[in-house]
Parts: sequence; C-alpha cells; structure tokens
Amino acid sequence: MIFVTGPLYAGKRTYIAQALGLSREELAERAVWDVQDLARSAPDLRALAEDLARREIVIATEVGGGVVPLDPAERAEREAAGRLSCLLAERADIVIRVCCGLPQVLKGELPC
Amino acid sequence: MFTFVIGGAASGKSEYAESVVLGLPGRRVYLAAMRPVDQECRERIEKHRRARRHKGFETVERYTDLAGLQGLEGANLLLECLSNLTANELYDPEGGGVEAVLWGVDSLLARCGHLTVVSNEVFSGGGSWEAGTRAYLWTLAKVNRTLAARADRVAEVVCGLPNVLKGGAFP
Repeated sequence: MIFVTGPLYAGKRTYIAQALGLSREELAERAVWDVQDLARSAPDLRALAEDLARREIVIATEVGGGVVPLDPAERAEREAAGRLSCLLAERADIVIRVCCGLPQVLKGELPC
Repeated sequence: MFTFVIGGAASGKSEYAESVVLGLPGRRVYLAAMRPVDQECRERIEKHRRARRHKGFETVERYTDLAGLQGLEGANLLLECLSNLTANELYDPEGGGVEAVLWGVDSLLARCGHLTVVSNEVFSGGGSWEAGTRAYLWTLAKVNRTLAARADRVAEVVCGLPNVLKGGAFP
C-alpha cells in the first residue's frame, strides 16, 4: 500500500496520479482519499487502518498542525485522524508526504 | 548530544522521541511539563505513562524552573512538551518567562547525557487569533527556532516517521 499524506490542497492526488501514470478515473478506482474524515466516526481505528491498508493507494490530509482547538470534540477528531495516519504509515510499503506539489519519501522508495 | 523533535497533534512525535532515547545506554529520565489541570489532561498523561511503561524511564514532573532540577547528571533526558513548559513559564504565577525556558534547557544541556526535547507544531492553522494567542505562538516559535539552531539533530515527525531537517539520518 502507498500512503500519501500532506497538508490541505498540497497536490497529493495530482502527484500520485502523475507518478503512477494514472488517469482521474483510474485514480478513483485504485485510491481512497480524505480518510482522515473516516477516523472521526470509527469505533476502532486499528480495524479501520487494517481495512484501508488493503487498498493500493491511501491518501490523508494532515489536520494536526494548527493551534489546539478549544472544542473537545474537535480535539478528539484531530487526535483520531493523527492516530489513523500513524497506523496507516506503519502498514504502508511506501509513505510519501506531498508539500506544495513536491514529494518527500518518508518510507520505502518512490514509485517510478 | 541534543535532539529536537517537533510534530502536530497525534503525529507520533512522543513515540519517536522515546525511540531516540531508548537507543542510548544509561539512565533515562522523562521530564513531564504538562500540569494535570483537568480530566482530559489526566487521561492524556495516563496514556503517555502507559506508553512508556516497560521502557525504563523514571518520570519527573516539572512544570517550571528546569534549571532548579537536581540530580540529573549524565542522564539521558526526554523533555515533553515544550509547548506546555513555555505556557507554564509564561502564565503561571511562579513562571520565569521565556528566559526560564531557554536558561532551563541550557542548564540541562550542561549536565545531562543526551537531551531530547519534544515540541508541538501548532503553527499551520493560520494566524488569525486574538493577541494573547498570537503572542504565545510567537514566543513558542522563537523557542523552537532557538533550540533547533542549537540542536545536533532536528526531526519533524509525520505519521510516526521522521522527516530529518538537520543532522542527517538518525541512528
């Protein structure tokens, strides 16, 4: 599984589609994105991570980088999203962080 | 040696910082700066304590005045977290301000074995906050930059993996 993460609108999907030579349609078939939103309502993050790890490409937006929210529910959401990303990175063969469209390999080797 | 680790909420920064200290021989001391002010803090502290169990850390709770801590000669220290320590030094009645943070770290570096400091990436959510919050963010950012400049190794942790910013690959 290839795990792609990075800030909002960083070009995560564009990058991975280009790197693997995928059309939009092919990307939609082979990838799942915005998985950070699934963490919010997941009763079991580990089970969710196992489930997602069976996909070929998993994409998450980083949400843990701003000022800690005052609202406890928002804090919990950020925690769950961050934890899910850690679990996915553990299970991934390749982890890529995309920042302003540019990839940084955190684990494994870039697909070429 | 001085290692500086930064990361966002639930980025895996604590676990990563622990792994840095676990790779070193000798005494391991965890300096905890979070004050257990409410139930959520107490749960967070308990979660971290559970994660550290069986990793051979002594835990020392210290909310301000690192320079006044005794008996750490030669120990490998893990200080967590700079965002709490800075807030305590700025806002607690007994706090000594930003100087107390920097002087405290200097004082630890002069006598400990390896120092690992964990800080919090709270700067990616924009700057439209009220003046007090902005002042805190500015101060913490200044402390982060000062310490990262002094550190031998700096890593930003992303989903549990280190993005090395300074000092080459970690052992």
